[in-house]
Amino acid sequence: MSELALIIEDDEDLANIFAEALRGVGFEVEHVADGQAGQDRLKQGSVPFLILLDMHIPHISGADLLTNIIRKDERLAKTIVIITTADARMGEAYTEQADFVMIKPISFVQLRDLTGRLRPKE
Amino acid sequence: MSILSRFLTVSTIDPDDTRRRRILNILVASVGILSFIALTIFLGSVIFKVESWANVSLVIIGSAVTVVGSVIIYLINYFWSGRIAATIFLVFLTFVFAFSDTPTQVASGRSLFAFAIPIIMASILLVPWSSFVFSSLSGIIISIIAASVDRVPNVPAIIGFFVIALVSWLSARSLEQALNELRIINMNLDHVVVERTQALTESLERERIEAGRNQAILNSIADGVVVFDTKWNAILANPALKSMLDLPLELIVNKNFRDLIEHPRLSPKSRGLLYAMLEHDTQPPSFRVEWGKKTLSISAAQVYDNSKDKNTNIGTVTVFRDFTREAEVEKLKSTFVAIVSHELRTPLNAVLGYAEMFKEAVYGPMNEKQVNMADRIMKNTQRLLGLINDLLDQAQMEAGKLTIQMSPFRPAELLENIHGVMDQIVHGKGLKLTSEIDDNLPEALNGDVARLQQILVNLVNNSVKFTDHGTVHVRLFCPFVNKWGMEVSDTGHGIPEPEIPYIFDTFRQVDGVATRVHGGFGLGLSIVKQLVNLMNGDIKVKSKVDRGSIFTVILPMVVPEENTEKRKNL
Repeated sequence: MSELALIIEDDEDLANIFAEALRGVGFEVEHVADGQAGQDRLKQGSVPFLILLDMHIPHISGADLLTNIIRKDERLAKTIVIITTADARMGEAYTEQADFVMIKPISFVQLRDLTGRLRPKE
Repeated sequence: MSILSRFLTVSTIDPDDTRRRRILNILVASVGILSFIALTIFLGSVIFKVESWANVSLVIIGSAVTVVGSVIIYLINYFWSGRIAATIFLVFLTFVFAFSDTPTQVASGRSLFAFAIPIIMASILLVPWSSFVFSSLSGIIISIIAASVDRVPNVPAIIGFFVIALVSWLSARSLEQALNELRIINMNLDHVVVERTQALTESLERERIEAGRNQAILNSIADGVVVFDTKWNAILANPALKSMLDLPLELIVNKNFRDLIEHPRLSPKSRGLLYAMLEHDTQPPSFRVEWGKKTLSISAAQVYDNSKDKNTNIGTVTVFRDFTREAEVEKLKSTFVAIVSHELRTPLNAVLGYAEMFKEAVYGPMNEKQVNMADRIMKNTQRLLGLINDLLDQAQMEAGKLTIQMSPFRPAELLENIHGVMDQIVHGKGLKLTSEIDDNLPEALNGDVARLQQILVNLVNNSVKFTDHGTVHVRLFCPFVNKWGMEVSDTGHGIPEPEIPYIFDTFRQVDGVATRVHGGFGLGLSIVKQLVNLMNGDIKVKSKVDRGSIFTVILPMVVPEENTEKRKNL
């Protein structure tokens, strides 16, 4: 059974590319396009193995989602969180809360290789 | 008193003449009055039969003649000539003395002294030397009288008269000289007083004009100006300030600055800023405050009085400028920069990602040309991203928005990252990237790691751009106490000596045309220089054409208190 990766990203193209990278290394991928949808999805349904979280998303910001939802939810304690942002400063600020910080532009290969290493060997 | 004075004074243009005629008038008046009194007494004694007419007739006639003579001399003196009047008076006096006693007594006896009187008077009433004339006249008269009674004239007495004349002449002359000098001094003094008065009037007038002009300038400038004394009491404010703060001037002038700071229209943050300025007396040259809906820029400058050879602080001039519009524009600009930064990068990221997917053959096998094309798309996209980043950095630096944020980092991390970022590019050009780190550099330092990384990437990029063969070498080292450095050296084209001063200029590359050959805006080195400046550092270049260049950045060394901090980063 493949692990679930949740992409929270408002840009459709980027979400597509990220999804391909993740699928490429064997993840099952789910995508939501804004903070509110992300929050709704995280409160129910299966627990993702990995969350790829954009910091600049509509309704609820990535930062809020990370601090107030993901890090406060017991079920998500083991979930790996990768935040993506174009702002290097913001990335710096959340290094403590996130497992990984990726600064945009994010390379397809880079994301694929990183997530490939994170996925438990079968 | 004034009637008497008017009676005695004859006004002329010559002050000496006036003086002499006044003295003559006094003498004539005295003689006239005394004679009149004598005439009255002797006439009375005849009328009341005390004396017989024969006994006193000579005295009465003499007195009457003297009274009449006095009046005539007075009139001549008053209406015609002081000199003639004085001469007549003195000659008359001399003759009166000559015939007032027996010839023997006059020639060499008790009446001899009387001749001294007109001699002395002459030097005062006429010109000084006239005393000699009268001493001669007296000598002749005495000699004639002596001869008439067959006696030898009294020669010692005549010589004595000449001595008296000499003394009178000397004293009258010195008196006149002293008076003259005094008059000249007075005249000069008058002159000086006139000049001074005129100068004072002029300077007062100038000052009045100057003050008026200053007031007019102050009233007409668009900036609000308020002047405080050393205790922060407002002593002056202009109408622009009134309209800027929308407060009547009475609420500003003669009030303490604290009253203004306490005004509810001032935002709490601005209030704190102004209090800090008051209490610590440390004033940044210019800062902004929020006043109601307005943003005001305040510049404060202390005023020193150095007129008395000492620099005493006499107050503060503060200039208020309405910065509302500029502040809005600035806010818009920074929002714009942030939006552009995000909105441009996102689609470029997508282009990059799709190109990579092509290259990685995600959707099926690709031939060599297709892979090559995908590679080109990726490279160009990366270049575009680099340019956008450079432009945004430049815009931020120009707006003064880019700040340096210090946090602990490992210098070794910089080298690891530079290899991560640049290895592929360096190898792509057939070059080698080597690095070293000096042992004496501390394990951890304080600094803005992202910006340091940017400096290093830009420098290495620059070196790679201008090097065709050989190596690009990066070294981190410790040149001297409290400083650390980053050095990037290459074996490239080098920079011609005359171009070195310009290489850090914005939008410039050597030869001007190089931009097209090597790509880029020429912003990389300019950004490096500005970042180094922001970090209070220094950058130097050594270069030889066809041998290569060495860029050295020297920065202040700040060692963090806690040397280690776990960092999670890619």
